Amino acid sequence: MEMSAVAVVPAREDFAAMCGVHPEIQTVSGNPLELYSPRMPILGNDLLESWAARVRRLGLRSLWVTPGDRDGSVAPSTLAGFFRNGVERLLVIRLKSYAEMDLADLLRFHFEKQNPVTEAHDARGQLGVCLLDRSFLQTTDGKVQSICPPTDYARIPYPFNGYAKRILSARERQELVGDALTGTCEMRPSGTQIREQVWAGAGVQVAGSARVIGPAYIGARTKLGDGATVGPFASVEHDCVVDCGTTVEHSTVLPNTYLAPGLLIRNSQVDGRHLEHLGWGAVADLQPAGLGRRIERRPSGRQVFRAPTKETSPGSDSCFSLGRDFTTSSTLSQPALRVQL
Amino acid sequence: MKNVTWTVVQFPSDLGPDNRRTLRKDLLSALRVSGASVIADLSLRQSLDHDDIDLLLECVAHVAGRDAKLVIVASSRVLRALLEVSRIASVVPVCGSTEEASAHPQVDAETISVSTSLVPTDLTETIGVRQ
Repeated sequence: MEMSAVAVVPAREDFAAMCGVHPEIQTVSGNPLELYSPRMPILGNDLLESWAARVRRLGLRSLWVTPGDRDGSVAPSTLAGFFRNGVERLLVIRLKSYAEMDLADLLRFHFEKQNPVTEAHDARGQLGVCLLDRSFLQTTDGKVQSICPPTDYARIPYPFNGYAKRILSARERQELVGDALTGTCEMRPSGTQIREQVWAGAGVQVAGSARVIGPAYIGARTKLGDGATVGPFASVEHDCVVDCGTTVEHSTVLPNTYLAPGLLIRNSQVDGRHLEHLGWGAVADLQPAGLGRRIERRPSGRQVFRAPTKETSPGSDSCFSLGRDFTTSSTLSQPALRVQL
Repeated sequence: MKNVTWTVVQFPSDLGPDNRRTLRKDLLSALRVSGASVIADLSLRQSLDHDDIDLLLECVAHVAGRDAKLVIVASSRVLRALLEVSRIASVVPVCGSTEEASAHPQVDAETISVSTSLVPTDLTETIGVRQ
């Protein structure tokens, strides 16, 4: 029985732009999938890569990647397109959670229950991972018409009791950062460990009077100004600037963010000009107050993607290492990429 | 603790350049009065811009080292986040309402009593502790 896996990424516009310029795709590191999650690294790790590694362990040699909505939902017609192409079973991974899931165990459960759809749940509900059989589809005259609404089937959830965090929630994302920095989960920060519980990516610049208090992570090419303090339990992702005297603690600063001098970033997630306070649930715009902004990516940092031949070296700070080969599909109703694992 | 008369200066929801000058004048004038207790009421504001932050920092600098008292009223969580990020909340009390701000504990310099037994003898002359 032919089985495929598809990861649904919440980046429709990026995806369309990327397919439109194929095969010379503009990426930062020469990796075709980097565009899908440019704002989602967690301690330099890409969630898509994490799931791709699990798919690889399942024995699959490729992973389809298709765009979905912001919450990771995907049109039924898109999934139906995979079955039209002869796939009998489809593993759908919506990039909404990080879960240390043994997909082989999910598959075994699916076989045992003989249900056309199996969705992974933890104590708090869906994790965005499900297995669909072709029999899940409505057919007319032998042709696939659409995906049946899931409620038409007796739903037997796959109970997952392992480590999981919903990364679309800033609070859970910060919890994942803390757990990864302290070794409480499988995820490890990318880059080099420079001392106990402190990691740094390539090209980090730390001023002499800046302090990094572990557990903490500084992403590649990030600059810490004089008197800046990062940590504890802080992650400043790649290409950020933390200006003089600013403190970042119990917080995450997402890539390409500039933080003005003398700030106190505490219990927050900052993405460019937007700061979400994890305690109060408030989202503040830092830019009008001159406190923070998005740093535009430098064109000189981009490379043209060519037919991939160069492997990313293990342990480098690059977000993605699986994109060695890919093809696009023109038969599916939505654009999709097939990435060789 | 003595009774305190608070001066409430409200930030309008939208400030033009002229209004901003007037607001600045009102705020700083209020803070110049000896023993002044001023509430900067931001409850009409949804957010803060660069000029607002500058004005608040100017007020903070004005109060520092003097017997004036400044309390900020910010009911919105967004404002509170901005006040924390800019560290203004670290040096000025932030309350949710003018009533809460008015009830903010007042410690007047004249009421501070220092037990001479806790002060080294050679220091009492230096700081002029009243016997």
